[in-house]
Amino acid sequence: MSKTTVGLFGLTGCAGDQLVILNCEDQLLDLVNAIDIRDFLMASSANDENCELDVALVEGAVLSKRDEEKLKQIRARSKALMAVGTCAVWGGVAALNPEADRAKLLEEIYGNQGAQYDSLPPRSLREVVKVDLNLTGCPIEKGQFLSAVSSLLNGDPPIFPEYPVCTECRMLENNCLLIEKSKVCCGPLTVAGCDARCPELGIPCVGCRGPVDEANFSSALAMFGEKGIPRERIAAKLRTFAPISGDHS
Amino acid sequence: MSTKIQVEHLARVEGHGGITVELNDDGAVSAFRFDIFEGARLLEGLVRGRSYEDISPILSRICSICSVAHSLTSLKATENALGVKVTPQTELLRDLLYRGESIQSHALHLFCLAVPDYLGYPSVTALAADHLDAVKLGLRLKKLGNSIQETLGGRAVHPVNAIVGGFGKLPSADSLVALRAALIQGVADCETTIKVLASLPVAEFCHADTVFAALSSPENHGYYSGDEIIVSSNGQRQSVRAADYRSLSNEKAVPGSHAKHSSFNGRPFMVGSLARLTTNAQGLTERARVAMDDLGLRLPSDNPMDNNKAQAVELVHDVHAGLAIVDRLLRDGIKEERCVAVRPKAGTGTGVTEAPRGLLVHSYTYDDEGRIITADVITPTAFNVASIENHFRSTVEQSASKDVPALTKKLEMVARAYDPCISCSVHLLQRRPSVDV
Repeated sequence: MSKTTVGLFGLTGCAGDQLVILNCEDQLLDLVNAIDIRDFLMASSANDENCELDVALVEGAVLSKRDEEKLKQIRARSKALMAVGTCAVWGGVAALNPEADRAKLLEEIYGNQGAQYDSLPPRSLREVVKVDLNLTGCPIEKGQFLSAVSSLLNGDPPIFPEYPVCTECRMLENNCLLIEKSKVCCGPLTVAGCDARCPELGIPCVGCRGPVDEANFSSALAMFGEKGIPRERIAAKLRTFAPISGDHS
Repeated sequence: MSTKIQVEHLARVEGHGGITVELNDDGAVSAFRFDIFEGARLLEGLVRGRSYEDISPILSRICSICSVAHSLTSLKATENALGVKVTPQTELLRDLLYRGESIQSHALHLFCLAVPDYLGYPSVTALAADHLDAVKLGLRLKKLGNSIQETLGGRAVHPVNAIVGGFGKLPSADSLVALRAALIQGVADCETTIKVLASLPVAEFCHADTVFAALSSPENHGYYSGDEIIVSSNGQRQSVRAADYRSLSNEKAVPGSHAKHSSFNGRPFMVGSLARLTTNAQGLTERARVAMDDLGLRLPSDNPMDNNKAQAVELVHDVHAGLAIVDRLLRDGIKEERCVAVRPKAGTGTGVTEAPRGLLVHSYTYDDEGRIITADVITPTAFNVASIENHFRSTVEQSASKDVPALTKKLEMVARAYDPCISCSVHLLQRRPSVDV
């Protein structure tokens, strides 16, 4: 049986999810032997830029016409497309303020050249093309990535947690930062999979994995309200990595 | 006949960039550009109004390979602005965390991105087919760097544990003992690394008088502490205070290039490992000093390819220095101290550190409730673009043959020797903020 052909691509972002893949030091050599990597610009200078791919892994958000065209080309040559990382799944930090006046910011940051910059409002991959699988995290977690890849190679649908960071945090028997210390912790609304990495260190969750399905925003907002935390502070914090319910579909 | 050399997608670097060099009819170089194709994320503008606690987690996302650098530089700027003084233990732990990043980043760059060039392979996986031990060595060192980042930073990419005023959770003695074992293996791996790198073919095709700039770290050749920048040119040294960083980013347009060029007193400068060794070699450990001889690295160097050798010297230094820090922490014990309390107030603060790729600046102004008004970020690759482009020109001018494939390979190797981080460099067109507070 021929090996699954794979391409790894980055749109606009920090390349952190590709780095997590390269950080799988103990599995990397087995991984590259198990699949046939055809196109991986960050790691190789011998890439086939046109071949058909069984699986495309794409990180980063769409922030330019160049990104949009590249993503559409990737989609057209791939049987399955996996969005990798919070930017690809939700838009990520570049989308943290949907109301920002981007033309003004471009001018302020880049001066006169700002207006000529190839710049579009940030979009997640699924806002541009059909996405078959979303693997979230800023960055993605190694274990989830590796189990997603082995599921795909075996033809099984990968299983990701469908509960919030709070659940993981409770299982670790941590004291609650929100209830006991009145901290702005995004744990109740953020999808699990990180083993409550931040609350475990005594640091409030920043929501870097994006929202859990069916997050109960109204009850969480009421809980933050009871703690006297201003609504705009909570909204800003919750929107840092992903839109909150009602921002857009 | 005029010639155009174009690399549309530069491979084996972080981010999206390219190279364009043009020669006119008589063979003179008429254009020499390092092209940047990253989208604009506008993070400096988007953080405006956010609380001081939110800034480091957001701005660390500028870059993954140097996310510790962005995170710690951000904390340094915020703490300077808010008048927070962290404890000596916090300084020491941040120093070690930063060395972990440098080990990870240099091992990744040397073994996975640069060495394949020297030996004629397109990628580290192709290299592994013939040189498996060398690749495993590189991956082991990279993993060591990542273990340090995980132990102290709580995560290898985008660390979470370093926060304003200190750390969320201090490392346990057990975790330090585990790190110590990994560092001792690292000391042995460094010996092999020097042998591997000393055996590579020489890369001598670009020579140019180069100005170097780096944070002064005379005592231990570190990345985190200090606020004096040294600019070194032909043995002459000038000092710039961190708060005056803008004297290093006087940007000007240069014919033949899109990017605005950073310069100091009108001259482009190089930042990164080679610049740090040139300005701070006295702080190296004994083994790193010997490694410099083993690799035949003479300073000051006029060959940008020597940045690869300089990274190898730093790799040796950081493993040895890291082990010394862990031994000290185990001997003295970790003091159970809490984060320094923060009282928000209005103020401006600048943080300057040495990212693996060179000088990194974050400068912020906060209002009296601790919300950020302006954020200014200047990254190593932004500082380096002018120097990279100058070295492109020298490479082509000094090459007797104008054969396009051969020149292309040399240009790619020069670009890669700088270890450019193009996600970072997108901040290079930055001008002074319109509102100076």
